[in-house]
Amino acid sequence: MSIPHLRVRDLTVTGDGGRLLLSVNALDIAPGSRIGIRGPSGAGKSTLLHAIAGLVRAASGAVRWGEADLAAMNDAERARFRREHVGLIFQDFLLFEELSAAGNAALAAAFSASSRRGAIRAGADAMLGHLGLSDHSKRSVSTFSGGERQRVAVSRALAGDPAIILADEPTASLDRAAADRLIDDLAKLASDRGKTLVAVSHDAALHARMDRVLDVVDGVLVAGA
Amino acid sequence: MRAFFDLWDQVPVALQDVLLMCVLLAPAVVAGIVVMRGYRPLQLVGAMLWRYRWTNALFVALIAVSVGIGVGLIAQERGLRKGTARAAEKFDLVVSAPGSEVQMLLAAVYLQPVDVPLIDGPTWEKIATHENVALAAPIAYGDSFGASPIIGTTAPFVTHLAGELAGGRMFASLNEAVAGARAPLGVGDTFTPAHGIGDSAESDAHAGHSLTVVGRMPATGSPWDKAILVPVESVWSVHGLASGHAPGDDRIGPPFDPAFFPGTPAVLVRADQLWANYALRSEFTSERTMAFFPGAVLASLHAMLGDVRQVMSVMAVLTQVLVAAGVLAGLVVLTRLYARRLALLRALGAPDRFVFAVVWCYAAALISAGAVLGVAVGLLAVEAISRVVTARTDILVEASLAWPEFHLVAGFVSLTVLLALLPAFNAVSRNIITDLRG
Repeated sequence: MSIPHLRVRDLTVTGDGGRLLLSVNALDIAPGSRIGIRGPSGAGKSTLLHAIAGLVRAASGAVRWGEADLAAMNDAERARFRREHVGLIFQDFLLFEELSAAGNAALAAAFSASSRRGAIRAGADAMLGHLGLSDHSKRSVSTFSGGERQRVAVSRALAGDPAIILADEPTASLDRAAADRLIDDLAKLASDRGKTLVAVSHDAALHARMDRVLDVVDGVLVAGA
Repeated sequence: MRAFFDLWDQVPVALQDVLLMCVLLAPAVVAGIVVMRGYRPLQLVGAMLWRYRWTNALFVALIAVSVGIGVGLIAQERGLRKGTARAAEKFDLVVSAPGSEVQMLLAAVYLQPVDVPLIDGPTWEKIATHENVALAAPIAYGDSFGASPIIGTTAPFVTHLAGELAGGRMFASLNEAVAGARAPLGVGDTFTPAHGIGDSAESDAHAGHSLTVVGRMPATGSPWDKAILVPVESVWSVHGLASGHAPGDDRIGPPFDPAFFPGTPAVLVRADQLWANYALRSEFTSERTMAFFPGAVLASLHAMLGDVRQVMSVMAVLTQVLVAAGVLAGLVVLTRLYARRLALLRALGAPDRFVFAVVWCYAAALISAGAVLGVAVGLLAVEAISRVVTARTDILVEASLAWPEFHLVAGFVSLTVLLALLPAFNAVSRNIITDLRG
């Protein structure tokens, strides 16, 4: 698909008992941009990422990726959107320890349409090769280092060739050398393949490789928008 | 509906069993097809099973033991029924003094003696000389050696009961005996009968009367295997009674002289024709005698217990379902161990039905493995219980698993995999973000 433009307008996300967790008046992200999101712990950075991933339902406002308004979709429609357009990366990798690197990277093949399964598996193998893991693709990930695990997670996020990559603290569980390599990989992949990358992080080295860095403080997007 | 049952009755029994098995398994298979349609969850299910393998093994073992005991008990009940029927099959018609048929059945066929009035000489004569009677044999009990009852009877009865002897020869004098296959005496052994049976037996009441084992019967699978069979004249003799023959006549065996016939608690009668058994029963059912078919009495006992059997089957299913329900409640807790991985799947865009399929397949795999293992446990349980029951009752119980047990297991699997939909529903109704944070 073509890479969609993100437009967030008057977004609010509430928690238990209607407590306001996040408020965004306006946010525009151009296709192919690399965006960092920073802020103190508990400020609402991850909630913003979850909102633009469609993992949380907006209490009000609009989250539009192109013509698709996640705020107006039900759970199943948002899951479908993520399945087709979004690759997600998490702080602690969230791999299936009993599966091989290839099994984890091609995880989406298990629940995607049969017409896409072959492409996802091929994409997973290609990404593992690109990230230097092709020799270890049959090995169980339980034997992998932190850096290798996160590269498997990146391969999983990109196996289906999504237009959007969303990463939540991708370097927080890695040592400096592994974190720098991952930042480099992510930034290059986004640039070379024209993906929109949005990464929540405290890591200044990651912010330095972004086109733009947004600040979230006390649940409000305050700067950089 | 009636046409259906008419058609069903025409289907061969083996095919009926197979069809019933298919019908019972159908809900599980249909549920599996519907839940898994379009997805490939098995690799993930395998990963989940392996991750908490010991916990999963415990769940499988719980189901297996529950299924095994259930099918084992039901198979055992059938085995016991067959065993008791087999033990009675040589006893076509029994004639005794009027009383309880069940009590007499226990005494004459299963050698559980009771005090009953004796059949006298004229009555014996009437039975033994009846034109349709091919074999009439007294069954005189009351003495014992150790745990073995001593039964006074005739040589033709021994042959009727056990066929060719396994060793030695038939008793030919008052002081000779033929031992059952499991009696604690071998050919050549000598023993003195005790008066009575069990704890109250008086071991020195017949001191001075010793008998020698001259033959050994093959196994019959009945309590008679523990018995010691002697000429009925020997029993009368040790009790100081007439010998059944005129004084000076030292023969053993029939015909007996009614004037010198001391009496016998029971007479086994075999007719020369099958139909004649009914005529004989009718003829000897009188004020002085009671005639009954042990097989028929046993059948009515089994019929009476039939309801109990059905209740037992239902109880077995219910117990298993309750265990399975407990296991499934445990599965709801267990799926929380996987909550973060399941939330990950949903975050990556997996449809709820896929996550549902993963959890359901996981539960179905545990249930199916438990059921299959349960059949193996059932086989072992049947073997063990059969040995105990055979040792306790002397009735050879050869129980084995058959279609009813497999039907029970199939019904159990179907019911519980449908119940397993509940933890699957529970897994997809959880909050993704809460679970992702772990």
